[in-house]
Amino acid sequence: MKSCTGKILVVDLTAGTTRVEQIPDEVYEAVLAGKGLGAWYLYKNIPADADPMGPENILGFCSGALTGTGALMTGRVNIVCKSPLTGGWGDANCGGVFAPAIKQCGYDAIFVSGISDKPVYLYCDNKGAEIRDAAEYWGMDAVEAERRLRQDAGSQKKPCVAVIGESGEKLSLISGICNEEGRIAARSGVGAVMGSKKLKALVLAGSKKMPCADRVKVNKISKELGRKINKVVLPPGMGLSLAVGGVGMGRMPAMPLDGSVINYLFKEWGTPSNTPTAIMSGDGPLKNWSAGPSEAEGPSMAIEFNPDKINKIETAKYHCYSCPLGCGGKLDISKVGYSEFYETHKPEYETIQAFGALCMNKDLDSVLYINELLNRAGIDAISIGNTVAWAIECYENGILTAEQTDGLELRWGNTQAIIALVKKIIAREGFGDALADGVKRAAAKFGGEEYAMHVGGQEPGMHDTRNDPQLGIHMVAEPAPGKHTIGMAIQYGAMSLCDICSWAPPAKLHNKKEDLEPTETMALQSKANAAYSMLIDGAGGCYYAEMMGVHMWKIVDYLNAAADWNYDGDHYMEIGCRIQTIRQMFNIKHGYDPAAVVLPKRMQGEPPLKAGPLKGVKLNNKEQVSMHWKAFGWDEKTGAPLAETIESLGINKLMEV
Amino acid sequence: MKPKIVPSFHYKNCINCGMCVQACPVSALEMSHKGKNGKYRNMFPELVDYDGCIACKQCVSACPMECVAMASYYEDK
Repeated sequence: MKSCTGKILVVDLTAGTTRVEQIPDEVYEAVLAGKGLGAWYLYKNIPADADPMGPENILGFCSGALTGTGALMTGRVNIVCKSPLTGGWGDANCGGVFAPAIKQCGYDAIFVSGISDKPVYLYCDNKGAEIRDAAEYWGMDAVEAERRLRQDAGSQKKPCVAVIGESGEKLSLISGICNEEGRIAARSGVGAVMGSKKLKALVLAGSKKMPCADRVKVNKISKELGRKINKVVLPPGMGLSLAVGGVGMGRMPAMPLDGSVINYLFKEWGTPSNTPTAIMSGDGPLKNWSAGPSEAEGPSMAIEFNPDKINKIETAKYHCYSCPLGCGGKLDISKVGYSEFYETHKPEYETIQAFGALCMNKDLDSVLYINELLNRAGIDAISIGNTVAWAIECYENGILTAEQTDGLELRWGNTQAIIALVKKIIAREGFGDALADGVKRAAAKFGGEEYAMHVGGQEPGMHDTRNDPQLGIHMVAEPAPGKHTIGMAIQYGAMSLCDICSWAPPAKLHNKKEDLEPTETMALQSKANAAYSMLIDGAGGCYYAEMMGVHMWKIVDYLNAAADWNYDGDHYMEIGCRIQTIRQMFNIKHGYDPAAVVLPKRMQGEPPLKAGPLKGVKLNNKEQVSMHWKAFGWDEKTGAPLAETIESLGINKLMEV
Repeated sequence: MKPKIVPSFHYKNCINCGMCVQACPVSALEMSHKGKNGKYRNMFPELVDYDGCIACKQCVSACPMECVAMASYYEDK
């Protein structure tokens, strides 16, 4: 593929060796790069009985097929492994600068197996790769370690660093991998896998030119998009209008959004723009997913987490590699209460919601502080937030006592206790030790399973399935369950997939009562959404590029120009289906039972909420998931891809390559 | 003094994507210039290591917005 290097770096930490492997072109033709390349490699090379924390597990860092070609919003690195959290397929992705850095070293991906007998880091530049001693960096937080490793590298090119913090080192199953001092690939326990290998960091200082078939053509597409985004400016002080919008969205069926809305919201505020809307509309979970906005101080929460307040302490916007939107930012938190830090990355909506309304914590300062604690520890905000909310509800209901919580008064909104518990979880100290592996394992130890919100072992993102039944399908049917980034109705509406894909149904009004009943159309929509999401991950694109829609972020034109191909949307959507099917085949191979994965009862509307926009909503999630699997050509009862589907997607042949 | 050819930035059309900075093989560029772009606190690319620049033009070809051009400069000392 002309937009890829055609090479991967394979590292064996047990043997202490590195080698370069050539990847045949037919692999890229079938699955692109990024998550697709990762799925192909891991399915072939991880044995079925491999311990996720053992030497046979492989941790892959995969750059996308469009990364480095001049295509905008292609700075996502996909990190893949067998997940210690779910026992099945695991992946996480994040922005920053690590994805192009892999290609600048001359590879499309780096795959690491084995376990080192001492802490090490991998260093790569134009000359090759070497495994170096990391004793002096082990024990440092992710931000400090990144700064030191960059300083000590002594390379002409400023290196890009992917690193674990304290949580990864201490094998917390909800830990992630950081770069750029706060961009975290957080899900699936990828940080724990890196920690189990005693691999502190990857330091990439390559400066090779990244390949592209026709850079002029790619740049032309980018220029058109860049100009549109540069023109986007909102008037100041609009933050609270988002809450009013949320009230409206919660009361009436929503129209399919235009993809350009994302430009306005995320350029102005980043993902914190979601917070007031989500709190008031029913999209954002409140009080451990148990209450509507009127029962859980929704209006005052929406005011406290007004994103204009965050913008006031923003010193600079942060853009990931190749992104014109810049949803990130650097915040001055030197004057924020609690904080011993002077700066943090702007918290994502997920972090704000998880440590705000989910825990009934009405203190933005504490959320900013916790955000920096999590970034430095390298831990997943979604997972730890759900776990803390579970602990609070258990404490409030007498399942946990002060004796068990090391004296912490875990009450709703007790900010000091929440901060103290976060620190204990990061340090794996006392009560925190049992919570550091996520809510499923914590509930297995202490009880309170009915309050433990997880899907197949992974805690769900901060979007309520009762508000969006399509999201409920993806949370369960997705090979890495619990993720909120695979698809939802509002996203489907914005993407206009029917304009590039002949079988993708058009979007319609959603949040209507009919949406609660499974239909063939909804199954096709969720299939298309998941397949497109995989296509984006193969290309290395950003979720917000995906949400802009196919008319703004022109993936078909980008791929054809960058790779010198001439395929249509249907061909690319088939690539997405192939990637998704390989990920599910990985699950089946490793004994993960898709049919055993269910939404927590609360997320299905059992018992139904008594007030608010989601009042009385009940989902028929099981049947919807079954229809989604059928649409993919997977067994509708077991979720296992059918032999004829595997054959028709050419996966058997692909695995022989 | 003989002029040196180094990148020059036209910020008006810059989209702050950082592709020029990442493309620089000697890290002579950084996203550190506080531009004048209305209310947004965007950071723009600038040449921070004049001596280090090897005039390879990788930043020029990396920019999709055609905001980077090579220009002759006398070192400002």
